[in-house]
Amino acid sequence: MSAKIEAQRVSKRFGSIVALDALSLEVAAGEVFGIIGPNGAGKTTFLRILTGYWLASDGDVRVDGLSVTHQRFAVQARLGYACEQPKLYSDHRVDAFLRLMGALRGLSGARLRGAIEVAVDRMGLEPVMRRRIGVLSKGFRQRVALAQAILHEPPLLVVDEPTVGLDPAQQIELRRIIAGFRGQHTVILCTHQLHEAEVVCDRVALLDRGQLAALATADEIRAGGSLEALFLAKVGTHSGLAS
Amino acid sequence: MIRRLAALSRKELRQLFASPIAYVVLTVYVALTGIYFFQHLVSYNQLLFVYQSEGMTGGGFDQGTVPSRINVLNEVFVPSAEDFGLFLLVVLPLVTMRVFAEERANGTDELLLTSGLRPYEVALAKHGVTYAFVLLLLLGSAIYPAVVVLRAGLGMEHLVALVIGQLFYGCAIASLGLACSAFTSSQIVAAVLGYAIPFVLLDFAWLSNTVSEGVAAVLREVALLSHYGSFARGVIELRNVVYFAGVVALGWLASVASLELNRAR
Amino acid sequence: MAFLPAAGVVMILVGVASYYATRSLHGMSAFSAANVAIGLVLLVIGAVAQARRFRGFSGAESRRVVLRWTAILVGALVLVVGLDVWARVMTARIDLTVDRMYTLSDESLLLCKELEKKGGPPVELVFFEDALLAKDVRLLVDAYDDTCPGVKVRDASRREPPQAARDIYTTTATTVIACRGEVCDPVGYPSERNITTAVARFTREHAIRVYFTIGHGEIDLASESETGFSGIASLLRDQGFDPQAFVGPAASEVPADADLVVVAAPERDLMPEELAVLDAYLTRGGRLLVLADAGQRSSFYSEFLPRWGFTLDDAVVLDRASSPLLQDPKPVNLIVHTFAPLNPVTRNLSARTMLLLPRARPVELARKPAPDDKLERAAFASQRAWVSRDVAAALAGKDVEPPDAKDSQQISIVATGLYPRGNGEEDTSHQARIVVIGNRDFASNRLLEALYNRDLFLNAVRWLANDEQRIAITDKAWTPVQDPLTLQTTVAYFYFLAFALPEALLLLGIFAWWRQQT
Repeated sequence: MSAKIEAQRVSKRFGSIVALDALSLEVAAGEVFGIIGPNGAGKTTFLRILTGYWLASDGDVRVDGLSVTHQRFAVQARLGYACEQPKLYSDHRVDAFLRLMGALRGLSGARLRGAIEVAVDRMGLEPVMRRRIGVLSKGFRQRVALAQAILHEPPLLVVDEPTVGLDPAQQIELRRIIAGFRGQHTVILCTHQLHEAEVVCDRVALLDRGQLAALATADEIRAGGSLEALFLAKVGTHSGLAS
Repeated sequence: MIRRLAALSRKELRQLFASPIAYVVLTVYVALTGIYFFQHLVSYNQLLFVYQSEGMTGGGFDQGTVPSRINVLNEVFVPSAEDFGLFLLVVLPLVTMRVFAEERANGTDELLLTSGLRPYEVALAKHGVTYAFVLLLLLGSAIYPAVVVLRAGLGMEHLVALVIGQLFYGCAIASLGLACSAFTSSQIVAAVLGYAIPFVLLDFAWLSNTVSEGVAAVLREVALLSHYGSFARGVIELRNVVYFAGVVALGWLASVASLELNRAR
Repeated sequence: MAFLPAAGVVMILVGVASYYATRSLHGMSAFSAANVAIGLVLLVIGAVAQARRFRGFSGAESRRVVLRWTAILVGALVLVVGLDVWARVMTARIDLTVDRMYTLSDESLLLCKELEKKGGPPVELVFFEDALLAKDVRLLVDAYDDTCPGVKVRDASRREPPQAARDIYTTTATTVIACRGEVCDPVGYPSERNITTAVARFTREHAIRVYFTIGHGEIDLASESETGFSGIASLLRDQGFDPQAFVGPAASEVPADADLVVVAAPERDLMPEELAVLDAYLTRGGRLLVLADAGQRSSFYSEFLPRWGFTLDDAVVLDRASSPLLQDPKPVNLIVHTFAPLNPVTRNLSARTMLLLPRARPVELARKPAPDDKLERAAFASQRAWVSRDVAAALAGKDVEPPDAKDSQQISIVATGLYPRGNGEEDTSHQARIVVIGNRDFASNRLLEALYNRDLFLNAVRWLANDEQRIAITDKAWTPVQDPLTLQTTVAYFYFLAFALPEALLLLGIFAWWRQQT
């Protein structure tokens, strides 16, 4: 089961600073949708609005018709979120942490145990189940973050920069896992890694200065050369990069 | 909701006791209360000795060799209870400072508030666990008044009244500290405000000479200490219970408001 | 500018803390005041600066959230304040002290009802909040405010006592003064007994006049020595009675304004004319209190009292289990703890509220003057007591043995008589009453405050004065323990409480931290 996302003229202002400026986009159910852009483009802002952590100044995002502004708890029940530089409880063991997050998602008893088993299996966390999160490598911490996000089989998965700081092998492994979600979950992947977006995503949105600068499918990107070329074309002029 | 609250409360408890601060606070509180209780006991002993030495020199039937107001209730129990109240003010902000502020600083509040938890549930769990810790503190130091109760025949009900009063009072201070913690991501700021606000609200005697009698009466009603004393003397007054419950409720509400307003920024 | 609020908070804290640290020396010092004032200014400036830099709450929905939560917080505050005010008005409390020390007794509540029924300005209890005992008695004083509609509490300060109380306060270091209008009375030690007594004085329309017979060796009300009886004179005045002397030989009748007459241990005969005056007084519904020690002889005991149904043998009551606390020989210091439970003079006395009656003489009942008269024995010596007719020997401490065969009937020390002379028992205006107490020493200055002696005297006087609803308020029976701890016990407590327990907690903490790290 996967979710459909519609963002309608979503804006976010912090005083005079406009972080998002009337952003509109749609994500089809089951799609792996990438969001890229330079620093300060509004990627994380958008994700925080989508997940209900922040309130949009204007506009709204709908997940399967449910408004994030007015029905955020119903939306949050339908999504799993692995945030940037995973925010986890370092003093918890992995198994205790997953039990906690599962319980917060309303799982209990056999259902919870089963969900943890599935998530652990998919993320390859078996070797580290009884270790404290604080002593895990970055790669495993990312996996734990993803594991807690999929415990309750959410229709929508929101993943913010999952491969930051990982070595190449870990990056490849994680991309494989995310790509494996295709069809079962709608995935919104926010990343700085252009190659990653090109390889994993069905469509990619390029944000720049809070606005949608470009939106292209994987085929369109390949037809146009590369995502890097698209990035430079749209963003390079003001970021100081040669187009 | 109950399951979510239970899971969250377990998480809070785990975090509370994973940090050495909880044990240090427990130790310091129990040690301080023990030392001050002992001081009151020694002073009382000395006072009795002085009175009874003088009484023995008079012959015949001497009614009230020791004045009846010099007794273990007035000289040990009540002063100790007042000291314990002050020590709660000293140690509790050290516990409350991290409860919300640490989550915000680490970013784990994002994890909680995007998992379908209502802000009031998050605040309820955090407040509840902190109040449970207050109860633990009080039970650790209740051994002192219990000793007095057993020896002096004050009655266990009197001890119950004292513990209830300390619990209300401690929860009120904790609630204010938690509200301060909810509005910042800095534990230091949370601690300073967690000390400042209860300390200023403790007793407005420092203002009483500069304001009118009417305002002074209102300030007395708002002061924390003026609602605490009767519990130590074994009386549970409705107005004091309502006052402390009100402070606790307002503190909790302020914490919830902080989480909601943070989202709306 | 972000530094300013923090600096402001710190300065306010320092100002307030320095006030508390030095307030016993002087009030708010310049240092404290300056810190608080400057801190407030910094706080305000910093808060305004922060507010101007604030970038949040852009957007209609955000503003709606802010308004909603502001309304919720303000509404909650109003609700809490309202509940607080309501709770103050409700004045509900649970007194969990032993003997309910801060709950008014039935006698006090009865007085409150009386006060409410009579109406008039309320009795004001001026309560000095900064007096030495203020903290100890605040709850008790509040109990009057909460449960007594005719009593109001007014807080005052030693530095500025209210005008009406000023004269009293300058001469008496006291915590509570009772006032009604411009008239004030000190309370003395602020116990419930004393406060209620002070309030009761304001409820009397006139003082109850008590005449003491003199001229036959009776007690000396003016004497303040240990064996004198100035104590009962003060006590009577405190209770709203007016003690006067009655010179029997010079009077043709008991004064018309006499509410009761006290014949307190005459040592010589009363003249027949004097006895006739007393007879006439009682016949028209008079009230008589008789005190009599062992060893006293008078026509009053041998001729007068038997006419009214009482026999006072010239004997002394002895008991081997008597009090060892007086200088008199032990067996004569009678401890009395058995009482007639329904007798109005002794009904609030019990085995826990004992009397000390040294050199008591037995008071027994004789034939009733009239069939409707009610005579009753009210207080008794213990089962082991006996009567000795060798009074001199007993009082001299010569070894007096109990008789082999002892009468099974308990020896009575106090007896009462009720003589309806009007329209039956309900007509108290023509109802003579007599209380005979086979002892006078219990009311001396030395012993009046011993055990519950005071209560016996007051109970008798109140019943005789038709004031039995105010039968003496006893102080709550709980006596706080005043035993010191031994040095060993104290040190043991200290080591356990202040060291062992904290040490255990700290070790637990270290273990938990180590587990956390590994």
